[in-house]
Amino acid sequence: MANDKSSMQLISRGILSENPIFKLALSMCPAVGISTTVMNGVLLGIAVLFVQVFSSVTISIFKNMIHPRIRIPTYTLTIATWVTVIDLVLAAYMPEAYAKMGIFVKLIVAFAIITMRLEMFACKESVSDSFWDGLGMGLGFMVGMVVIGFFRELLGSGMILGHDVLGFKPLLFFILPSAGFFVVGLMMAFFNWIEIYYKRSKGLK
Amino acid sequence: MKDILTIVIRLTVSCLLAATVMGVCLIFTSNAKKHNEHVKEQKVMYSLLGYSGGATIPDSLAMHEVYRYVLTGPSKQSIAYLVPQGHGEEKGFLFVNINLDGELIEAKPVSLTEAQSLDPESRNKAMLGAADTGYDVQFADKTFVVTDNGQRIAYLLGGKFQGFKTFINVMVAVEPNFSLIGFEVLEHEEDPGLGAEIEQEYFKNQFKGKPFAALKEIDVVKAPIPEEYLKALNGKISEKDVLKVREQYKDGDIYALTGATISTRAVANGVKGIVRKFAYRVEVLDKVLTEQQLAVSF
Repeated sequence: MANDKSSMQLISRGILSENPIFKLALSMCPAVGISTTVMNGVLLGIAVLFVQVFSSVTISIFKNMIHPRIRIPTYTLTIATWVTVIDLVLAAYMPEAYAKMGIFVKLIVAFAIITMRLEMFACKESVSDSFWDGLGMGLGFMVGMVVIGFFRELLGSGMILGHDVLGFKPLLFFILPSAGFFVVGLMMAFFNWIEIYYKRSKGLK
Repeated sequence: MKDILTIVIRLTVSCLLAATVMGVCLIFTSNAKKHNEHVKEQKVMYSLLGYSGGATIPDSLAMHEVYRYVLTGPSKQSIAYLVPQGHGEEKGFLFVNINLDGELIEAKPVSLTEAQSLDPESRNKAMLGAADTGYDVQFADKTFVVTDNGQRIAYLLGGKFQGFKTFINVMVAVEPNFSLIGFEVLEHEEDPGLGAEIEQEYFKNQFKGKPFAALKEIDVVKAPIPEEYLKALNGKISEKDVLKVREQYKDGDIYALTGATISTRAVANGVKGIVRKFAYRVEVLDKVLTEQQLAVSF
């Protein structure tokens, strides 16, 4: 099992070999819906990162007390609690950040990636491993969102991080949710192609 | 059977645990949240009046909040306003009840301090106490009358209307002759990249300086914004030129956001509705106040 894995391996696994968006193909709704700009991707990524880490650690701590038949409701409950807590704390103590992130935080309750990581990893592994896994998955999700956001923002509105770089709007289509599927699909293919290429070159050596 | 019981008990316990965590968190954060919302509202109000980014606010400037309530009785409805009698703690508010024909039913002072009036709960209670028994009070909206040395210089109108997805909560600033100073989106849940563009300066600036006559008839056109107008809206040309371009387009319609015509239309119609209704209401209220010679702070 993952006991022999170091924290770095767990993180890099979340970003590369098991990237939530490009490899596991989970939580596609936000990836398609929200990732219209780089900034949206970063903000949603941060929100997911926190919820994933907190939920993973919580479930990992209580893993022996959760009745196997009601684990999924318990996961949902845990995620919902953390989302609410983060939402409240942000609104109270970081109004500036909340103004930008509030709308994203509330979306997270229904994210498949978080429930899936709790089911696959946190309910079996130690607390520290769960922490690193949650961190890796959160970062992987953020990277995915930022990459998709980069292409959609550049091609859809000709901007990067709100700065006009192209001076014109190439294709409005890329802002629309349907274009998200195309971008995600192409990125997925690209990631898989790189992996196959990498493995082959290693095999040839 | 035993399984079901343990499941039920465990689920109940976890739910209670989660509820406790959330509840404790709410208790600790609710005051700070309320405070933040108040601060944000103040900031938006001053920035709409042109005092943004730490500009000093002159002492002569004063804001008077007017709350509008709908009173529903067994057989009829009326509109009641809560009008400040003056600034300071001891002055209190005046309860002005006006029927639907614009005639005064009654006016009497209510004991409500300014700090209490900020809290919806104590304000509603005071209204309920002031209204006749059997009447139900319903908060409608609040308006700020802005005065400078006693002269009215602007009205700030809060309002809510249906957007593409959920409600859009805005604050609109108008001059005493009801031409638009500007508006700010306080809360919305439009789609990022599409409807959420209503937050952008270039969109909001389209509304700036619209005279009341134009605003009453305002519509949305589905066409790209002309280049010079867009430049002016983004503030990329000098202030003098901005005013010139704005003058040229001031009677025109609102250019729809690309891919978000419904959101644009919602905002245009919403702002139009807020200002039109307010223009009528404030006239009625002013008439009553001057006819009855009621002393208010503005």
